[in-house]
Amino acid sequence: MKIFGKRLFRPRSIWIRKIVQWFFFLLIALIAVNHTLVESGGGIPFLSTASLHALCPFGGVVTIYQYLTVGTFVQKIHESAFVLMIIGFVLAFLFGPVFCGWVCPLGTVQEWVAKLGKKFFKRRYNHFVPVKLDNILRYARYLVLAWVVYVTATSGTLIFAEYDPYFALFNFWTSEVAIGGLVILGATLVLSLFVERPWCKYACPYGAVLGITNLFRVFKIKRAESTCKADGACSILCPMNIPVDSVKTVRDHQCISCLECTSEAICPVAKTVVFTTGAVK
Amino acid sequence: MTLTSKPLAAILFVILFGGIMFSTAMGWWQTESTKEAATYTEGEFAGQANPADIRGSYTFGDVEKNFGISPDVLAQAFNVQTDNPAAFAAKELETIYAESEFEIGTASVRLFVAFYNGLPLDLSTDMYLPQSGADLLKARTLTPDQLAYLEAHTIPNATADPSAPTVAPAQTAEPAPEAESTERAVKGKTTFQEVLDWGVPQAVIEQIMGVAMPNPLTKIKDFCAEQGLDFETIKVALQAEVDKAK
Ligand code: SF4
Repeated sequence: MKIFGKRLFRPRSIWIRKIVQWFFFLLIALIAVNHTLVESGGGIPFLSTASLHALCPFGGVVTIYQYLTVGTFVQKIHESAFVLMIIGFVLAFLFGPVFCGWVCPLGTVQEWVAKLGKKFFKRRYNHFVPVKLDNILRYARYLVLAWVVYVTATSGTLIFAEYDPYFALFNFWTSEVAIGGLVILGATLVLSLFVERPWCKYACPYGAVLGITNLFRVFKIKRAESTCKADGACSILCPMNIPVDSVKTVRDHQCISCLECTSEAICPVAKTVVFTTGAVK
Repeated sequence: MTLTSKPLAAILFVILFGGIMFSTAMGWWQTESTKEAATYTEGEFAGQANPADIRGSYTFGDVEKNFGISPDVLAQAFNVQTDNPAAFAAKELETIYAESEFEIGTASVRLFVAFYNGLPLDLSTDMYLPQSGADLLKARTLTPDQLAYLEAHTIPNATADPSAPTVAPAQTAEPAPEAESTERAVKGKTTFQEVLDWGVPQAVIEQIMGVAMPNPLTKIKDFCAEQGLDFETIKVALQAEVDKAK
């Protein structure tokens, strides 16, 4: 219902995104369990038995170097990871890092923990890290990316699996999980009580790759200055702390295309913060 | 064009699962190593499965599917004591023959399968078989060349029993260096990168091989085969450098 362009009963968040997130969390969790069951002779019918490495688009990214130079994949990586990497790039080229905001189960779990943090700290939540320090730390994920690509290229093995919290999340019950991954997962979950998506912001190498598409993606988050009431809701609620209210087009490398800042969610004025290919006034 | 969340969710599903379905239809969607050996592309055997493509992850059951050799025969050939030979992976041979003087592993399975089925295989590299495997092959029809190769590449008394690790040396070869059984051992699957990591400089590696080192991730054995170099000789020389660098 709208009165003078203002919504009286606006949804507070993009509910369909939560459903999609749940869907992918359950799908990956079931596949991971199924992989274990199959190895011990059981298994859930009609469900993929693939290993998580085979279903991780980032696996495709880290194996590019070896594939181009030697013609083989890094150990444990298969063609499916390459396919998912290409799909991830197509999606990101069109819509930005939707994989991060809508699909990645580790992002989802961080958001679930964030709900607790928001209950405890209310408006202070996600605003603890001093802005200057935060701005610098945001580039740390590019260092992680460079390191992962380097060690994988020189060793030919998936060394990152030893530290990967995503792998640890869905393998904590198996002997395959490394202590490094569990520690980083634990730290990520604890930090999520204070900061929204700390792994995504400061360390995720795949987020770093996809984040670059924010500079040139087809659909962009745009703010219509003519109708904007400058109430700052979009910036306060953005999980990635992007100052949406001070730009016309969001090109921040950290945007995850969650649409939470748009007029469909937190922005109280219709057609003011939109996800579009066209120009807004 | 402006998008809201619901169409975005729908497009996301279409692109993601549509992409997976498309790649499945094209045969690109592989979530594990295919256990279907590549076939010979030319000659008398064109279209038949090529034993050279047997990989370490192949179980004896996979070998049976591709080449029709029973897992029991394979287990007998390699002295594998197991209740379920079909589930035994070729790469496990390396572990159970860890004490063997010459490597018995996936390459040995390739050799056995090729000779057993009378299929051609590149014999320019050294592949070894335990006596039990050689005996089974001698009962088959072998060409004089195959027989000669077999004679020179049989390890008599090689044992798959870890509790009895002593292996009698093959008559045709030099004794293996002591470090063979340690962690830093140059083996068939060792890459140049590993030797570099063990402290042998690139210049020394190149001096030993007499040619420039390829991409460090290349397996030394594969490179030797490609270049027509004798892997056994290079292996011994590299191992000596690895031991020195310790
Ligand atoms: S700018 Fe908007 S779409 Fe991007 S992360 Fe922030 S809230 Fe989500």
